[in-house]
Amino acid sequence: MTIKRRKAATQGALIAIGLGVAASASAGEFDGVTLTIATWGGTWKSNIEEVIVPKFEAMGGKVEFVTGSPQANLAKLIAARGRAPFDVMEVLDAQEKDFFTTGDFIQNVDLSKIPNAEGLDDWQRNESRVASWNTQETICYDKGKFAELGLEPPTTYTDLINEKLAGRISIPDITSGGGLANFGAFAYAAGGDETNVQPALDLINKLDALKFWSRGGEVITQFQSGDVYAAIVHAGWCTRAKNAGANVTTAHPKINDEHTGVNKYGWLVIMKSSENTDAANWYINEYLDPEFQLRLATKAGVVPVNKEAIARLEEDPVLAEMLVLDPAKLDTQLRIDYSKADIASWNDQWNRAVTK
Amino acid sequence: MLPSFIVIGILIVASQYVFLKGSFYKDLGLGRIGDTAVLDNYIRFFTDPFYLRTLWITIKTSALAAFFTLLLGFPVAYLIARMRSRWSMLLLAGIVVATFVTIVIKVFGLIIIFAADGWVNKMLLGLHIVDRPYTIIGNQVGVVVGLMHFTLGFGVLLLYSVIQTIPRSLEEAAQIHGASRFRMHLRVLLPLSLPGITVGSLMIFNMCMGAFTSAALLGGGRVFTLPVLIQRTVMMEVKYSMAGTLSAILLITVLLINLLSVFLLRRFRTARLVVT
Repeated sequence: MTIKRRKAATQGALIAIGLGVAASASAGEFDGVTLTIATWGGTWKSNIEEVIVPKFEAMGGKVEFVTGSPQANLAKLIAARGRAPFDVMEVLDAQEKDFFTTGDFIQNVDLSKIPNAEGLDDWQRNESRVASWNTQETICYDKGKFAELGLEPPTTYTDLINEKLAGRISIPDITSGGGLANFGAFAYAAGGDETNVQPALDLINKLDALKFWSRGGEVITQFQSGDVYAAIVHAGWCTRAKNAGANVTTAHPKINDEHTGVNKYGWLVIMKSSENTDAANWYINEYLDPEFQLRLATKAGVVPVNKEAIARLEEDPVLAEMLVLDPAKLDTQLRIDYSKADIASWNDQWNRAVTK
Repeated sequence: MLPSFIVIGILIVASQYVFLKGSFYKDLGLGRIGDTAVLDNYIRFFTDPFYLRTLWITIKTSALAAFFTLLLGFPVAYLIARMRSRWSMLLLAGIVVATFVTIVIKVFGLIIIFAADGWVNKMLLGLHIVDRPYTIIGNQVGVVVGLMHFTLGFGVLLLYSVIQTIPRSLEEAAQIHGASRFRMHLRVLLPLSLPGITVGSLMIFNMCMGAFTSAALLGGGRVFTLPVLIQRTVMMEVKYSMAGTLSAILLITVLLINLLSVFLLRRFRTARLVVT
């Protein structure tokens, strides 16, 4: 017994020394490196600041942020003529053509330095990008109001075409983060697709929306003020509205026989002009860490890409209600193929159809 | 003197030159522009009913906002200008402070007031004036109200300075000679203040033509004025040349309307319809 204890103590001491050596080796790994991240502000950035930044600083580096939507950051990138004022950028799948078709702006990621990407599906990682999160675009509706009006919970977009809901619907503007994904989903639901969005515009005009929201926070205000009874918004914003006191829940819309629910992906890319590639790969790996993924999910309402984090989400009763977490059901969610879409044409058609 | 001119030149002239020049090139996608000067963007603008309608909405909402700002601002400015108590300075200070409050805060205040459960709708529904809550979001009325909210403080300050230059004795003389209060306002105050009102209305109109925040927030993505369309063209479509064309047309339209107003004012002066 004594021999076993001594052996254990010796092993423990050796492990401790080993860890210490490893820690001291990595402590200065990024001495003098300033890593600039292009991402959203607010809660999103706070999560990064509270979890990833301290780890990077402990390794001698410094993190700076360029905040804004991916569209706004793309505009900054273009204005800088490709000399990106940042090293790592969060991009949306809707920017497929801007980033991944041309390859003008990004350099390869080094998957060997991103062990946390191993748990991702093959399509979620390749040499140019790594998936970082996704959102489930839903119909967020006020349960109380629907019951009061004698309405069944919605299951499709067309369920929202109802005199009782006239002027009480809020849908995302095409310029908002989820605008393109939902516009594409409307197209599919109405019989169109990425190359034919006219059916989506006809459906949207029938909805008699109060307004088109451009920032998710507006939806929370609208539910709180009683202005809207239903909104097309990702589950995260619906969760935040519920946490803010609104009596809301989500419905994952049936799009067609193949698809129920809508999915939008976020990706991390390293900019072509970045000279901090090791730090950038390290950052991406930390972003995919289960603990950070779980935190981002619970604070921002997005769905992790890390499978361990997804499984743990079921422990949160509110998120379990709001999100689809069953892998089989997740596979049926619609993802727009932006390589087929002419986004400029989508914008142009939208602008012409919705203007009053 | 020279450093000031250089700084102003860079800030104003150079930036205008960049987008004016850019407006004559074709968009090639992803922010890239062609290298041959063409008029394609301008031709597209003037042959496309969507763009022409956007220009019309911009002018209409700006003109209505300027008109109602002056209509509502004039009595307030007159009252403050003619007050003899120290309250006048306090009221003026209040207006100045309110003018400096960011428009985002002001607009959100309006949105809360006009919410379905806000006090305006509660009152309208309670008095059976409307049978469903009235909203100012997502329509042109809302944009006009938002623009008025943006410019009302400036309007009152401008009109105050105009009214202050008109001697009170002229009003008293008119009334001594038997003019009613209404007639005094119509025949003395209005003609004397018309040049000032014209300049003030042009300034307010110009502010409204370029206003983005009120139009974007209260338009709710459904009312497109030129500044809103420019933002969407830059941010979503990354078409810098077309955005430059829209900006150039906005600038030229504002200049033309101002020149036309000055011309008409001169004609009125010549016809002695305006006292200077």
